[in-house]
Amino acid sequence: MVSKIIAGWRIQRRVISALMIRELVTRFGRENIGFLWMMAEPLLFAVLVGLVWRYMKGPEEHGVSIVAFVATGYIPLTLFRHVVTRTSRVFSVNGSLLYHRQIKVLDFIFVRFVIEVIGSMMAFLFIGAILYALNEFPLPADIGALLLGWFLYCFFTFSLCLVLAPVSEMSELLEKLLPVTLYIMIPFSGTFSMVSWLTPNLQKFMLYSPFVSPMELLRYGLFGDRVNAVYDLSVPIAASLILTLIGLGLCRRVRRTLVVE
Amino acid sequence: MIQCEQLRKSYPMGSGRKEVLRGIDLQIGQGEHIGFLGRNGAGKTTLIKLLGGVEMPTSGKIRRNMSVSWPLGFGGGFQGSLTGYDNARFISRIYGHSYAEIKDFVEDFTELGPQLRMPVKTYSSGMKARLAFALSLAIEFDCYLIDEVIMVGDANFHQKCHDELFVKRGDRTIILASHSAELIREFCDHALVLNQGKATAYADVEEALGVYELL
Repeated sequence: MVSKIIAGWRIQRRVISALMIRELVTRFGRENIGFLWMMAEPLLFAVLVGLVWRYMKGPEEHGVSIVAFVATGYIPLTLFRHVVTRTSRVFSVNGSLLYHRQIKVLDFIFVRFVIEVIGSMMAFLFIGAILYALNEFPLPADIGALLLGWFLYCFFTFSLCLVLAPVSEMSELLEKLLPVTLYIMIPFSGTFSMVSWLTPNLQKFMLYSPFVSPMELLRYGLFGDRVNAVYDLSVPIAASLILTLIGLGLCRRVRRTLVVE
Repeated sequence: MIQCEQLRKSYPMGSGRKEVLRGIDLQIGQGEHIGFLGRNGAGKTTLIKLLGGVEMPTSGKIRRNMSVSWPLGFGGGFQGSLTGYDNARFISRIYGHSYAEIKDFVEDFTELGPQLRMPVKTYSSGMKARLAFALSLAIEFDCYLIDEVIMVGDANFHQKCHDELFVKRGDRTIILASHSAELIREFCDHALVLNQGKATAYADVEEALGVYELL
């Protein structure tokens, strides 16, 4: 029994690392900076949007550097948007890999997720280091809170993908609705505002969004008491657990009927 | 040994379902060379996909007590945008084999030379067939699942397959889906005729071919 689990774990690790390498090679190639490209996009987004905001609104907002504030919001948001967009029809797109029995459909979701997470973390570190040198970025006030915020944000993103991937195979509607949904959700993602800036009624409402509390926690971890963070971690945790359960069930069901070319 | 119990497979078709396999019972032992005969659309490829675990049966069970290759055809198993070498690397990684050994075997068997550095989507079907065979032979399965369409190679390729598969690896199980009487006669020692979702096994290839020709 135990040896079976260990053998299964070994195969799984082999498959995941092979799939990661394959994904990196197909997406970024071996030319010039190669896989470092995966942090290029979140980085450019954060820097450019941050600069635009700085010229529009001045160097600080509610007591913290505006560039740092935008960067901390935008990098998780690009992570979310990328992972979700890449999850759509991920089973059929990778169908030819299902010829190898050791590869499971969950591996596809997991691999794309991990690549985006690594890319955004690298972008976050990179931008943090540069802005720190320019005196625009603080040292994390509470690294535990920062990491927990990141973790909860990622966990929710992943659990949502576990549902979206199988649903996108069941109905084409999802693919059509995805772009507009990703746009509409931005105000509810906690990216550009803190909960405490809002009216009390709106605050309660915002905390129901599973993105908001992790985002608040992340910003608290970075800026410390210079921001007034409001969060309720039970919302993202409960939402992620429920989505994970539903998602695993749906993945299993869809795999049984998946037509592989 | 591969054992199938009451395998059924249906696909959605319009508002109803198309039943491709309607209850297949099958036992394939070590070292058997078995041909799947059937007209176009009889379910040969579907059955091969189920045996290979590429698709799941709608109902019924498959037990595999030996290592079974992925179905060798044109489509599956490859990544078209990657080069032949990259595909070999990927396969060696997921099956836990040393890339150096696989690389040598692939170069030797496919004779594709510098073409191996090109994306697989630029290959002709004969070249893809060579690569597919080379990779699966390098992994060394107990049982090979082969779709006839892949037997498109030239005489030299045909000879190589024959040597590697039937001479050097004569103790392996081979399942060959085909409607060519010639191929089945050459490679198989018994056969299964698929018709209207049911399978009938024949110990004698000539008898199976006789039934098949009357379909």
